Amino acid sequence: MSLLEKLEAAQRSQDVLQALGVNAIGATIDVAGSATEGDIAGNRVVLAGTNNYLGLTFDPVCVEAAVRAVRSHGTGTTGSRLANGTYACHAALETELADFLEARSAIVFTTGYVANVGVISTLAGPGDVIVLDADSHASIYEGAKLSGAEVYRFRHNDPDDLDKRLRRLGERASRTLVIVEGLYSMLGDVSPLKQICEVKDRYGAYLLLDDAHSFGTMGATGRGLAQAEGVEDQVDFVTGTFSKSLGSVGGYCASRKHDINPLRAQIRAYMFTASSTPSVIASTRAALHLIGRRPELRTRLWGNAKRVHSALAGLGFTLGADASPVIATIMDSPQQAADAWQMLLDAGVYVNLVVPPGAPKNMSILRCSLSAAHTPDQISQIINAYAVVAEHLMGRPKAVAGGSL
Amino acid sequence: MIPTKLRDSGDTGRFLRPIVMTTYNECVAQIQQILRTTVAKGEVVGEDMDLIDELGLASLDVMELIEQLEDVFDISFPINELGDVRTISDLARRVQLLTDR
Repeated sequence: MSLLEKLEAAQRSQDVLQALGVNAIGATIDVAGSATEGDIAGNRVVLAGTNNYLGLTFDPVCVEAAVRAVRSHGTGTTGSRLANGTYACHAALETELADFLEARSAIVFTTGYVANVGVISTLAGPGDVIVLDADSHASIYEGAKLSGAEVYRFRHNDPDDLDKRLRRLGERASRTLVIVEGLYSMLGDVSPLKQICEVKDRYGAYLLLDDAHSFGTMGATGRGLAQAEGVEDQVDFVTGTFSKSLGSVGGYCASRKHDINPLRAQIRAYMFTASSTPSVIASTRAALHLIGRRPELRTRLWGNAKRVHSALAGLGFTLGADASPVIATIMDSPQQAADAWQMLLDAGVYVNLVVPPGAPKNMSILRCSLSAAHTPDQISQIINAYAVVAEHLMGRPKAVAGGSL
Repeated sequence: MIPTKLRDSGDTGRFLRPIVMTTYNECVAQIQQILRTTVAKGEVVGEDMDLIDELGLASLDVMELIEQLEDVFDISFPINELGDVRTISDLARRVQLLTDR
């Protein structure tokens, strides 16, 4: 296939989406002064597909911190971390992250994607092995590919299959990096981390946990899934992002077991890209400070998630997993999912439409992500919008929101 | 067609496993058998057929096919090598090598 034939093929697959009659991919959202409302195609909607789990993007403390930083340190660092792009604020955030996670060291990256690609491709190399969960994020696959290591997938959330893969590796299991996520972003299901740790320990393999969606949302103080499961000391490396619970953009890697500082001069994605803008670092630090001090944010988030989850189950939707901040409803076909997505938008609710090949196992899903900032009324609006879908597309009676819903 | 010993993916360590070479033909036959129940609807598919262009498998289907082969032959297939696999024959040759390790 020539270069330009590839473009044509890509256009054809976009045409398939267009034919579904919606403009779900890359819909333009103008956020309207709050973490939970925005304008799409001229209509004010409740945002329920933004990963803004703790709703901190408009928190006055975070906003003020960013404003102060941009005034005193300017709009950008114009340099990479290893050259002129490390300010005191970058180093301070790394210390604060390490303290929060009780880690030996932490490294901050410009995005979460870059953190995964950089760390994974550097930790493992030719002669090493990576065994990753099949439903891993694109950045994990990308880092694995770039590493030059031999890469195997194990069946999603299946510790027995991981066990088989490590057994087949024999002695090479001790040169193996196992990679899983905490909360999986598409279906909202959670890794069986305790069993994964048990298996990798039995074979002497290393574990990297991508906690992008569970940092801030899980664990007694928001340290993520490993804290919730009581296995923080067994996880070798944790990566994560600032663009979910912390409401900005950026990524990190931290470790309790190993000093990862020497990796700084090895990770190309750290050395050869511009560092985060000081205002981004400032709001991230403010948000990190709040996560530890406002456990009520997590309580509200999970309350909202459970309320929506039980209402959607009551409406007869097939759900991707138990209640979590990500609630996926599995639809019958791409067309039905697209129709439902548009119906939700018309009812004033924005969620994410995910159709093959973007979703696991060729599923077509509507992905709703909840926020601590959603008000009880907004949660009712979300539930009512899904009730319209249930009634029109699935032939279910319309449920009444409110009350126990 | 698959030697019974190879179907047992229990705790028999690799060195204890009886030395039974899986032949290329056995690999082809196994792939054909899996595809017969999925894409080919009873038809036998030729070993030179392209999995994606001719048999119409999506990349996820190829991964599922490989997962089944991994279970049957008790192997792990490196995903770095997926790019080199176009036909049933390519896949069978690779699977045969992996069973040899």
